[in-house]
Amino acid sequence: MATISTYLRNFKEPSKDQLTQLFFAIPETPPTIGKADKDEEPERMEISAVLTLSQDASEDPYPGKLYLLPPYLSFASLDRKSVRFTIPLCTIRRVERLNARAGIYALSLSLWHGMKIVVQLTSLRPTADLFCALLRDALKAELQRGQMKAVKGFVKTCYSEMLVSNTEEGKDAAAHKAEADVADPDSIYLGGLGLKFKYPGDPKKLREASKTKLWTTYLKTHGRNLTLLRYPQCTRLVQVGLPNRLRGEMWETLSGSAYLRFSNPGLFERILKENEGRTSTSTEEIEKDLHRSLPEYSAYQSEDGIGALRRVLQAYSFRNPETGYCQAMNILAAAILIYTSEEQAFWLLEVVCDRLLPGYYSPSMHGTLLDQRVFESLVHRCLPVIHDHFTQVDVQLSVASLPWFLSLFINSMPMVFAFRIIDCFFCMGPKVLFQVALAILKINGEKLLQIQDDGGFIHLMREYFSSLGESAHPKSQDPRARAITRFQELLLVSFREFSVITDDTILNERRKFRSEIVTSIESFSKRSAIRNLKTLERFTKDQAGLIYDALFKAVCIEPPPVAPLPPVALLTTKDGTEERPETRIELKTFKVFLSEVCAWARAEKIVSNGFQQRVDREVAEHELIDRLFFFWDTSFRGALSFQDLVSGLNGVMFNDLMENIEWFFNLHDKNKDGYLTKDEVLTLSESLLFIFRYEIGDAYLGAVSRFMSNAFEYGDALLPRPESSDGDGDIPHIESNQPYMNLATFRMVVLADEILESFFETDFSGTFRLEPVPMMEIPNSNQGLLGGLWHNLVSDDNRKIFQKVTDEIGKTIGKHQVLYRPAIGKFTTLEEPKARESLLTPTMRRSASKASLDASESTPDVSTPPTVPTLSTSSSHLTVDQPGPASAISPSEFSPMPSMFQAAANAAALMERTPFAIDDAKDDDEESDDGSELADDGVMDEVDAFLEAHDSGLTEAERELAKDLINAEPVK
Amino acid sequence: MSFPNPAASVKLVLLGEAAVGKSSLVLRFVLNDFQENKEPTIGAAFLTQKCTIGERTIKYEIWDTAGQERFASLAPMYYRNAQAALVVYDITKPASFIKARHWVKELHEQASKDITIALVGNKYDLVENDNDDNEESLRKVSIEEGQGLADEEGLLFFETSAKTAHNVNDVFIGIGSKIPDTSASSSSNNASNGPNHEGGRIDLSSGNSSSQPSDSVH
Repeated sequence: MATISTYLRNFKEPSKDQLTQLFFAIPETPPTIGKADKDEEPERMEISAVLTLSQDASEDPYPGKLYLLPPYLSFASLDRKSVRFTIPLCTIRRVERLNARAGIYALSLSLWHGMKIVVQLTSLRPTADLFCALLRDALKAELQRGQMKAVKGFVKTCYSEMLVSNTEEGKDAAAHKAEADVADPDSIYLGGLGLKFKYPGDPKKLREASKTKLWTTYLKTHGRNLTLLRYPQCTRLVQVGLPNRLRGEMWETLSGSAYLRFSNPGLFERILKENEGRTSTSTEEIEKDLHRSLPEYSAYQSEDGIGALRRVLQAYSFRNPETGYCQAMNILAAAILIYTSEEQAFWLLEVVCDRLLPGYYSPSMHGTLLDQRVFESLVHRCLPVIHDHFTQVDVQLSVASLPWFLSLFINSMPMVFAFRIIDCFFCMGPKVLFQVALAILKINGEKLLQIQDDGGFIHLMREYFSSLGESAHPKSQDPRARAITRFQELLLVSFREFSVITDDTILNERRKFRSEIVTSIESFSKRSAIRNLKTLERFTKDQAGLIYDALFKAVCIEPPPVAPLPPVALLTTKDGTEERPETRIELKTFKVFLSEVCAWARAEKIVSNGFQQRVDREVAEHELIDRLFFFWDTSFRGALSFQDLVSGLNGVMFNDLMENIEWFFNLHDKNKDGYLTKDEVLTLSESLLFIFRYEIGDAYLGAVSRFMSNAFEYGDALLPRPESSDGDGDIPHIESNQPYMNLATFRMVVLADEILESFFETDFSGTFRLEPVPMMEIPNSNQGLLGGLWHNLVSDDNRKIFQKVTDEIGKTIGKHQVLYRPAIGKFTTLEEPKARESLLTPTMRRSASKASLDASESTPDVSTPPTVPTLSTSSSHLTVDQPGPASAISPSEFSPMPSMFQAAANAAALMERTPFAIDDAKDDDEESDDGSELADDGVMDEVDAFLEAHDSGLTEAERELAKDLINAEPVK
Repeated sequence: MSFPNPAASVKLVLLGEAAVGKSSLVLRFVLNDFQENKEPTIGAAFLTQKCTIGERTIKYEIWDTAGQERFASLAPMYYRNAQAALVVYDITKPASFIKARHWVKELHEQASKDITIALVGNKYDLVENDNDDNEESLRKVSIEEGQGLADEEGLLFFETSAKTAHNVNDVFIGIGSKIPDTSASSSSNNASNGPNHEGGRIDLSSGNSSSQPSDSVH
């Protein structure tokens, strides 16, 4: 796996607004046309209301909430499931304030399809006034955008229009008429491959005619396509199965993909045109699967079906290059295309992949894995006996259930039945998949307790699915009971017994398991990234893992830009395919990465401002770091891969003295001619100064200055002289950008200085360290005036603000001071080191002092042990008044371990990862509003479905009032 | 010789890059179940086939995994508890050989310790008629490379053609003979890719002569 995805890390739980928008299936970014509108985001508002449908007296008034979500108006009844609608504002033809009894505030809305709904706003008067004002503004805006005109063209593409208009002409047998209408040139409604290649299943058995009739009646009175009002009958009719011709359109309407198609006219065709001829990994994979997608359906044995499938899948992959194409999408798209046009299928696919089943088909397939985990947990809760048995015989549910979810049962059960489940899925959402899956296990419970291994489980499930058409009670005396098929039984159990599984259940469970799944996916990608390295160089796997961790962290903090797809014209490579995607980091991200593994590439400091002390770690900026980036970019792509980083670090971390000197020389030899120019010698000196910038004392400064004078002295001396003036003649003039000093000379200059020699011998390689380095420690965090307060500032943002404020105050009262951690930290005092002292090995230095041993044990890092003396200065100023490291601190004032622990904890909290919202989220509202809603699943009997009474939660008087409003006069 | 469990079940998983012919190999082996496998592979297809080696019968439970890269993270679910694995590559596609190497590493790291792995270079039919003078050979991964990796990692090695049935059954016989709990025949059978059957017979009920291994041509 060559790409690093931080998507999982950056996941945020949707806000309340987003959840509302998701619930009503409103497209994510309402298309804002024109730049002027941009600053005036249309205002949203929700208000309590009672909804009454004026034409159909059989429908009760329903109390609920009305949402103005421009450019849509939505409503949901109090239980959020009985009644709901989402209608584009542009389908509202007229709004009138009704003149009813005093104290009643009601609006009558006339919709495109001639229905009239009355909403009684039950909030306080000023609130209602505000809502009306906002509604008026939103409607005006829509009028200006000219959206009203678009409706007419759009509804023509809907089969429901023809269905209803036929009955309006007085033709009762709408269904029969529809059959004959296929060839009618006037009808431009969209349909799928089924129109030509027949729909799966026997129309008589499916009772197509009576279903169509029931729907025609419903659509006539309750609106259709863009204006569909979903009353309880709607859900029930969906549960008994959609008629084939209407199916595609209803999927579109119920799932909300119709709104996408409506607001993005022509986009599908445009995507295909703009990407004509483009090939990619996705298009290659699509080609391989085209003939493996529902091959038993006749359309997919001909170019009609294959071509349509290709266009839909390709268009999706071009529009969503990050998801691209995932096996199973072919099956889904092939199934959808039987009932819809290509454009409709394209938008439905988008709704499924992005909203209904998020992350299912993404490159990490995290959504799939997460929902499998959720399913397992639900089985544990609802069917504990089965769960225990599976644990006992060590069988994973997912081996069977994964394809159920991934291809919406299309691949598992006979198509006619899978389509019935998909009907419910689009109408009621993803919880349906869980309900059906649980019901499958429950119905097969006894047999499942007999299985011993994966194979037995798979076989049992296959057998069950192939028997779905058979009678569930073949031996029953009652012919009615005998007529019930196993599939009907399955739906009945799903919706009756598992109605406890609600949208909220799923959301909560997903929240609970997300971090578990994320961790396992991330460790998997880490493993495979390391495995995919061409070479580990001299690192162990664990060390490569640490490099990966640093890279991952850097990518989280500073995400590399998403590479835009190159234009088609440039894609004339040998085989015409785009390269495999691989995460490469640019300079910006590289700086963060380097700051993780290299001491001089970060600036770590203790800031004291009189109120608090804190440790800041920042990414350093210097030309040296840029230079290193390009030095490691051996393939000249302006970006580094994981392999580049591993090889680059390999080139510097294992070096001995001579190798380090040569490496440093090469790093600064820009044209790689084996010579440094004078300019480059200066740059090299600057690099050294940069590395030494936080070292204590003048030793390194002195070393660099000696280096410079030596360099130019030797350099000049060794320049080739003209023949004429041998001896101590004039120094030949040489331009600052001419070759000047070779490696041998450079080596000589470096070795002339003990400090530089020791730096290149061990210290330089030691500044690179793969293990995460804990932050510097602060002796006592309660020292400042506000010490205790600090710990109450939970969020990062608060901290930043607090730090800024206290810094400012600290500066004004003269208490602000900053102490940097040295990159090498060899010299701990301002004194010049004595001769050869710098050559002592780290262990020898450590054993010199008990106190510093303590400190360095907790930071087992050669290059950064003694933060101690810097700390001792924190109370006064930057002068060190203690003579040597041994007496820098007395154990009584300062015990390193606890504060180190705290510092490490702080470091972990601040640096490790952005906290997930789910970490804090509580899951205690799992089984909140169940039980009371068991009344609505008349799947079995279509007639009953219409007779069942529905308690809308209104009193008799309120109901009367609501009905009165229908006949009320508009106010002038 | 003792055969405590005459029809022992062996869980076998196929891994490898997309389009190297994993499903075709299985199809060739489990030919009488052909119709059943027409369903596209989502996650993994599950098939079973019995195979008789000497007097022993092994019932293979085969998990044929999806080759698409993104399904790789699901693979642990299928190779968990597997006793045998076929790591398949395409001898005309070097990238698939690199991928095979990764799968072998992954199995050694993550799968059960005593798993028997066979490395299979498929699509032998594409290079079957090569002779040494022919410079336009489609072969991109030599037998030596394949054998080298197999020796290095302790794997069985075969070059097969699912199309011509070359060596296909030998793979399953070879694996069956090497499954640890059989004390009898494991010593004599080895990873050679020759036509030797060691008395093994494939129990294919329907009369499909095409699936019998042809003589190997090298």
